[in-house]
Amino acid sequence: MATLTSGRKTALRRELEAIVGPGGVLSDPDELLVYESDGLTLFRALADFVVFPTSAEHVAAVVRLAGREGLPFVARGAGTGLSGGCLPAEGGLVISMMRMNRVLEVDYENQLAVVEPGLVNLHLSWAVGLKGYYYAPDPSSQQACTLGGNIANNSGGPHTLKYGVTTNHVLGLEVVMPDGEIVWLGGRTRATPGYDLAGVFVGSEGTFGIATKIVVRILKKPQAVKTVLAVFDQVDHASAAVSAIIARGLVPAAVEMIDQLTIQAVEDAFGCGYPRDAAAALLVELDGLRVGMEAQAERIVQACRDAGAREVRTARDEAERALLWKGRKSAFGAYGRVSPAYMVMDGVIPRTKLPYVLRRVNEIVAAHGLRVGNVFHAGDGNLHPNILYDPRVPGAEARVVEAGAEIMKVCAEVGGSISGEHGIGLEKADFMPFIFSAADLAVMQRLKNAFNPTGLCNPGKVFPTKKSCVEVGPVAYTPHAIEAKGLAQRF
Amino acid sequence: MQDALLERLRAVLGPANVLTGVELSPYVVDGRTPEAAVFPGALEEVAAVIALCGQAEVPVVPWGGGTAASVGMPAARAGVVLGLRRLARLVEHEPGDLTVTVEAGVTITELQAALGNRGQWLSLDPADAERATLGGVLAANAAGPRCHLYGTARDLLIGVTVVTADAAVVKGGGKVVKNVAGYDLPKLFIGSYGTLGVIVEATLKLRPVPDAERLVALRFAGLKDAAAAVRALLASDLIPNAVELLDPTAAAALGAGEAGGALGLGSGAVLVVGFDGLPEQVEWQCAELARLAAPHGGRDATPLSSAAWPRLAAAVRDAFPVATAVMSFDVVPAQVAELMEQGAGVARARGFQTAWAAHAGVGVVSAALVSDREPRELGPVAGVLGEWREMARAGGGRATLERAPLAVKSQVPVWDDPGAAGRVMQRIKAQLDPKRILNPGRFVAGI
Repeated sequence: MATLTSGRKTALRRELEAIVGPGGVLSDPDELLVYESDGLTLFRALADFVVFPTSAEHVAAVVRLAGREGLPFVARGAGTGLSGGCLPAEGGLVISMMRMNRVLEVDYENQLAVVEPGLVNLHLSWAVGLKGYYYAPDPSSQQACTLGGNIANNSGGPHTLKYGVTTNHVLGLEVVMPDGEIVWLGGRTRATPGYDLAGVFVGSEGTFGIATKIVVRILKKPQAVKTVLAVFDQVDHASAAVSAIIARGLVPAAVEMIDQLTIQAVEDAFGCGYPRDAAAALLVELDGLRVGMEAQAERIVQACRDAGAREVRTARDEAERALLWKGRKSAFGAYGRVSPAYMVMDGVIPRTKLPYVLRRVNEIVAAHGLRVGNVFHAGDGNLHPNILYDPRVPGAEARVVEAGAEIMKVCAEVGGSISGEHGIGLEKADFMPFIFSAADLAVMQRLKNAFNPTGLCNPGKVFPTKKSCVEVGPVAYTPHAIEAKGLAQRF
Repeated sequence: MQDALLERLRAVLGPANVLTGVELSPYVVDGRTPEAAVFPGALEEVAAVIALCGQAEVPVVPWGGGTAASVGMPAARAGVVLGLRRLARLVEHEPGDLTVTVEAGVTITELQAALGNRGQWLSLDPADAERATLGGVLAANAAGPRCHLYGTARDLLIGVTVVTADAAVVKGGGKVVKNVAGYDLPKLFIGSYGTLGVIVEATLKLRPVPDAERLVALRFAGLKDAAAAVRALLASDLIPNAVELLDPTAAAALGAGEAGGALGLGSGAVLVVGFDGLPEQVEWQCAELARLAAPHGGRDATPLSSAAWPRLAAAVRDAFPVATAVMSFDVVPAQVAELMEQGAGVARARGFQTAWAAHAGVGVVSAALVSDREPRELGPVAGVLGEWREMARAGGGRATLERAPLAVKSQVPVWDDPGAAGRVMQRIKAQLDPKRILNPGRFVAGI
C-alpha cells in the first residue's frame, strides 16, 4: 500500500486524537518501534499509528476512520503472542487495548465475570480469588498476556487438559465489527439463538473484529490439589506413561513433560529439585475433592512405575508444589543459561504418537546442527520444541526456521495440527496447506468474508500467501525494546 | 418433484435408497411431505445428492434420527430429506488418545456401546439416545443433564467433516484435543440445524467411564427452597455432574419409572443431583448434599436407578401423553426458579397444565404445556408462550419454541431474536449457501 504523506499523517493524527484524546495516539517512529513485533521477533513491521482507545465507542470510531481511509488495522494486547498475529502487516493502525483493562462485573451467583480485553489474564484470577474462584485457562504468559489476546488466539495452558481452552470459558463478547458496528455475540447464558458466533470469533486471530467486552465463566477453586513428579531414564518411557495414565481412566488437571536439556537449564537457573541426570520428567497434577485424592494419585504413581519411571514422588506441601511448577513455568527463561537464543515451536499430535514424534523432532533438529529442549503439555499432545541457536552464526536462524517447518510436517503426518495454542499468524500461514485442503480454506475464507469483507481487519494472517509484505528472517536476533528494558521476557 | 432428478438420485444411490410416496410418512414435518427421502451410503454419495439437488434447485433437509425435526420454522418447500442413517461407521477409536472419529449417522446409544466396551464414553447425554444420531445431536446442539459438568457439543467436538452446499467435502478442526490452526469450523456447524452444511463425520473428545455414578433426589416445599439449595450446592466444594430442578409434574414423570416411584406427588419441587468418580467420592458427596440441603428444607434423599438418566433428559416431554407445545429457555442460573414458578402461574391462570424442568446450574429450562381445546382455539396457548418468552427476556434470557402446532408457530416465532448478530448470521449463510439449498427458511433470522 502507498505510504501516507506527512501532511496526511498529521491530519489523521488530529482526527485520531479527536477520538481517543491527545494522549492516546503514537506516531513517532521511535515510539512505534515498541509495537513492531510480538513475542516472535522474527517478524517486524511498523505501523503508521498506535492508538489507545478507552471505550468500545472509541474503537468503533477508529475502525470507521480506518475504513474510510482504506487503512489496515489490528488490535493488540500485551504483545506476548508467538506467531506474529498482532503485527501491523501493511502499515496502518495498531489499536492497543491496554487501556481497556477493567473488571466490569463479577457475578458469583451465576459464576461469570464481564471484563475488558486489556485485562491481564492472571489479574482476573486475582480479582475473584478471595471469594474462592478463578479463571481456568492459564497460558504460561498469564502474568502479562491479556484476555483479549487470549480470545484472539484461543489460548491454552497446562491446566487445559482437564478444563479446556479459552473458548470453553467464553460465554459472550461485545465486538466492534470491521465495519465499525458494535455487536454482541453470545451473551451471559450458555447458549443464544442462532449460530455460535462467540465460538467462531474465539481463535479468529483478530481477523473478525475487535472484542471490547468479554463475558467469561469463573470456576470454584478445587478443594484439593496434588502434584506428582515422575522421573524417567528414557524419553520413550515418559512418553508412553502419558497415554498409560489416560488409558487408566484418569484425567489429571495437567500432565507436563520436561526433557533433560530443559531440566538442566532449569536447575542451573532456579534449582527447583528436578534430578539433573533424568532423561525426562513428567509433572502430573490432580485436582478436585480431598476424598479419593490419595487413591487417584496412587493410580498415577502406578501407571508411571509400570511405564518405567525410576522415581515417582508427590509434592509434600504447597512450597514443594510451587517449586516444581516454578521449574516448569520458568523453563523458557532458563534457556538463557544454555543458549543465546531459541525459538519456540508449537504443534499438536495424538497422545499415542508422542514417542515417535519426539524421536523425529530430535533427529530433525540434530540434522540441522542444532539443539532442542522440550517442555510441553504432554497430556494434550501439545509439543513445544524449543530450538536453541546462536543468532550471531550466519544462517543459524534460517536453519531453525527450516527445522521448524519439518517438525510441523511431522505433526501433520501423524494426524496432528500445526498449532495448539500460539496461532497461525504470519509465522505459519504458509503451513496451513499441511493440514487443510483448498476446499477447507475456501470455507474459512468465506467465513472471514462474512465478518471482514474489506479485509482491512488484520490482513495477511492465517491464510497462506505467496509472498509476505513484512520483513521476514533470517535476521539477526536483537532483543525487543521492552525485553531490553527488562519489562518482558520471551515465553 | 422432477422425475429427472429422481432418476439421477436412484442411479447414484440405488432404487432401494430413494423413498417416495407413502414411504415418506415418517418424514412429514409441520404437515409438509418431502418430495423424496434419500439415504446415501458413502460420503461421496452425500456430495452427489447435494450436487444433484443444487442443480435442480431443490432444497435438501439433512435428517438423522428425526428427533429434532419439529424444531424450526416450517419450510416453504419440503424438498428432499437426506438421511444419514447408513453412514454409521466407527472410523477410529484409540483409547490412549481419548478421542473418537465416527460417521454422523451413528446413534448415541450405538456409539456409547462401542466406546463403553473399551472403558470410555462421550459425555453427551441427550434425550432419545437410541434414535438420535450424532450428526443430528451436533446440528441441533442437543445435550442432557450431564452438561452441568461436561458441557455441550462445543466442549467436545474437535473435528468435523461436512458436505457444503456446493457439494465440497470440507474438514474443520482436526483429530487432536487442542488445536488453534485456522478458524474454529466445528463451532460454526454445532447448532446450525443443517443450514450451512451436512455433517458427515465428527471427531470428539472422550472421557473414561467413571468407577461409580449415582443420582439422588431430594424433595423441597417449593421451587424457591430448592433453588436456595442449588445455590448452596454450586458455592460448595462438591462437583456434581448433573443438577436438575423439577416441578411436581415433571418429577412424577421421572418417578413413575422408579421402583416405589411417585416421587413428585403433592406440591413442592424435586432436586435431582448426579455425582460420579471413585465410590468414596460419590458416597461423600451424597452425604454432603443432604447436609447442605437440609437448612433449605431438603428431605427424603433417595437414590434413583441408573435407568432414571434417560427419563431425566425427557422428563418434561414425557409428563403428558401428548404435549401441545414445548418451549426451552436459556437463562442465567439465578433466574431458573423464578421463571419456572411464574411461567407455571401464567399458564395455570389460563387453565393450562404445564410441566417444568431445568439443568439448574447452567440455566437451561424446558416447559411443556398441554391444551385439550380445539385446534382453532390455540390463541391462548400462543398467548402463554409469548408471555413465557417475555419473562425469559426480562432477565436477559432467550426462548426457543421446540414444538408446537403450525397455528401456534405462525403466532409465536420459533426462534428468539438474535439481535444485531442476526445480520452476521445472514451474511454467513449467504457466503456458504448462496442458493439457499440447505434447510432454507427453518432457522433464525430467516436463514
